[in-house]
Amino acid sequence: MNRREAVQRISLLMGGVALSGPVVSGILGEKTHFGDSVYATPQQEKLLAELADVIIPTTDTPGAKAAGAEQFIIRVIRDCHPMEEQKEFYASLDTFEKDSKAAFGKGFVALTNDQKVSMVKKLIETDRNFFKRMKNYTAVGYFTSEIGATQALEYLETPGRLEACIPIKPGQKAWALG
Amino acid sequence: MANLNIRATEENSYDAIIIGSGVTGGWAAKELTEKGLKVLMLERGRKLDHVTDYENATKAPWEFEHAGLMTMEQKRTHPKLTRDGFYDATTDGYWMKDVDALYHEDKRFDWFRPNIVGGKSILWGRQSYRWSDFDFEANAKEGIAVDWPIRYKDIAPWYSYVEKHAGISGEKLGLPQLPDSEFLPPMEMFCVEKEVRKRIEKNFPGRTMTIGRVANLSEARKEQLGVGRAPCQYRNKCRLGCPYGAYFSSQSCTLPPAAATGLLTLRPDSIVAEILYDENKQRATGVRVVDSETLDEREYSAKIIFVCGSAMASAGILLNSTSNRFPNGLGNDSEQLGHNLMDHHFHVGANGKWEGDLDKYYYGRRANGIYIPRYRNIGKDKRDYVRGFGYQGGGRRGDWKHNVAELSFGATYKDAATKPGPWTMGLIAFGETLPYYENRMYLHKTDKDKWGLPLIVFDAEFKENEKKMRIDMANDAAEMLETSGLKNVKPYDTGSYPGMAIHEMGTARMGRDPKTSVLNAHNQIHAVPNVFMTDGACMTSSSCVNPSLTYMALTARAADHAVKELKKKNL
Repeated sequence: MNRREAVQRISLLMGGVALSGPVVSGILGEKTHFGDSVYATPQQEKLLAELADVIIPTTDTPGAKAAGAEQFIIRVIRDCHPMEEQKEFYASLDTFEKDSKAAFGKGFVALTNDQKVSMVKKLIETDRNFFKRMKNYTAVGYFTSEIGATQALEYLETPGRLEACIPIKPGQKAWALG
Repeated sequence: MANLNIRATEENSYDAIIIGSGVTGGWAAKELTEKGLKVLMLERGRKLDHVTDYENATKAPWEFEHAGLMTMEQKRTHPKLTRDGFYDATTDGYWMKDVDALYHEDKRFDWFRPNIVGGKSILWGRQSYRWSDFDFEANAKEGIAVDWPIRYKDIAPWYSYVEKHAGISGEKLGLPQLPDSEFLPPMEMFCVEKEVRKRIEKNFPGRTMTIGRVANLSEARKEQLGVGRAPCQYRNKCRLGCPYGAYFSSQSCTLPPAAATGLLTLRPDSIVAEILYDENKQRATGVRVVDSETLDEREYSAKIIFVCGSAMASAGILLNSTSNRFPNGLGNDSEQLGHNLMDHHFHVGANGKWEGDLDKYYYGRRANGIYIPRYRNIGKDKRDYVRGFGYQGGGRRGDWKHNVAELSFGATYKDAATKPGPWTMGLIAFGETLPYYENRMYLHKTDKDKWGLPLIVFDAEFKENEKKMRIDMANDAAEMLETSGLKNVKPYDTGSYPGMAIHEMGTARMGRDPKTSVLNAHNQIHAVPNVFMTDGACMTSSSCVNPSLTYMALTARAADHAVKELKKKNL
């Protein structure tokens, strides 16, 4: 008996009511469709990368853009938030871009570094929820990326032993893994 | 459907059938096969081979698409499991989906059911503590429920037996309320924990704090190396399955020796629908199984049956096993089956900040915390509730997340995030729950799941004794942390529902009298002595310490008894 036949038997158990397509595919473990997701436009993608890079810039280690944090942010907004929050997120991003144009006559990507910083400071006042969400996902995306985990932090896959109370080494970075 | 129903035949016959492959099923398999029995183990979950099937265990953080954040799809398919934090995206593939494995709630019950061979032995927290006579005598002394039919001396040698094989790391304390195990070396405490321990012992006579007693190999001895296990590598990814076999799971610890006998047949994807009973023989004769993938039905027969499917599922199987002799469920003469449901209540304690030790750090990720053994209602201490609680918890030093909620950004933020953060310490209490007859699970009369089995309904709640205890659980934690010098100490009680602590117990309790209990002193159903139940269902009270080690010891003890009785032809 294959899986589809098994599903047919389930429909018999449920009183012989024919199951609709989406229900059957759900039982079979296939991904079902729950309406559209919001996908970032290429412009929004660029903008997210720049904004993330202001939050976690390149210092003596590469920053958020180098680590591809914007790809993580787009994925998490798409897969981990209901439609309403997805729309809200991108509406905030669009407003941020508009504010940049209003303030400096240019989109955020084209601003100087100082102008970018002043825009983010303003953002903290005008749309704190968006800033917090953006900062949180930038941080998660960055510090769990290969660049963030292995260069900005100290990465050790298999410690092999435990020393729970030792003097800290000079310049010790935080462990990447918890 | 008749053509799918394969009757038990010679080749479907075994000496023993074990229902479930988790902590207790694994032990039953090891003990029974090593004593020469031909064993069939039935597991409703999917195959999960040791090491090679631990898909997420060796992944780097950047190999997880969403860094472990919950997706909408996971929330949709696990509406109940996502109500609490134990289910997460990295262990997603190990759990049943709520949308398939349905159950009803007259009152909220968080039911955590793995969908894998090894069951909760893969996912458990590994905290391992002996019970004491404070626990085994409590019901009799206080006139609550029924008396345990055993005492500490009956189980003590079996604790030793399972501990030597499983490997329990911990520190000897010599406490009567928390007897010592056969320990591997204890894991080390963080600096903050060492200091807090000193201050608790100084300021609160009768209280102590020790490192968690945990089923991780702080050192692998001959017993463990012999079954292919290696010492703990301090990766702290135990829940995903350990590629080193360094913690106790069925896969690492009990199934390899069982398989080595050549006497074990393991069938995953096999849901036991009922236990079959022969009225003439007055014995169970076998089981009816539904294949979880194909829905084919099959029967298997055996001389003895070990029911090790976890407390709620095991009681559900018995309730669904009806006959003329047992119209309300197999062995349910007492009408106690499904009743006296218990779980520990928790999600209450305190946290604080430790301002010292900024020049101290650690190497290795300790998959363990601290433990404060019960001190309430012991000796001269008398509270306005009975029984008590213990604390788990521990210190930790902040990682890159420590300043993520701040409004900072840029190089200053990044620099601070990449340095170790402040130390904090938290205590979380686990409290004993009394056995109340009215706290129960039962089978729905009409609603069935996609495998054609009646849905389990939960109707249980924490009551006055637990509520009074929770006040101490929060206040004592805050008092101990504050007195120990932690700053900004905050007590919390975020609420606890039965099932959440995943220490569910009591639905087929042991007892001395067949009129008031389901199982006897050797975990046999009083009226059907060739059926043994050794998982959490058998527990007569709940203690406040983690129960798995006790289930292991009871299983090994019951298996020993079963084989002796088989040889005497009593079964």
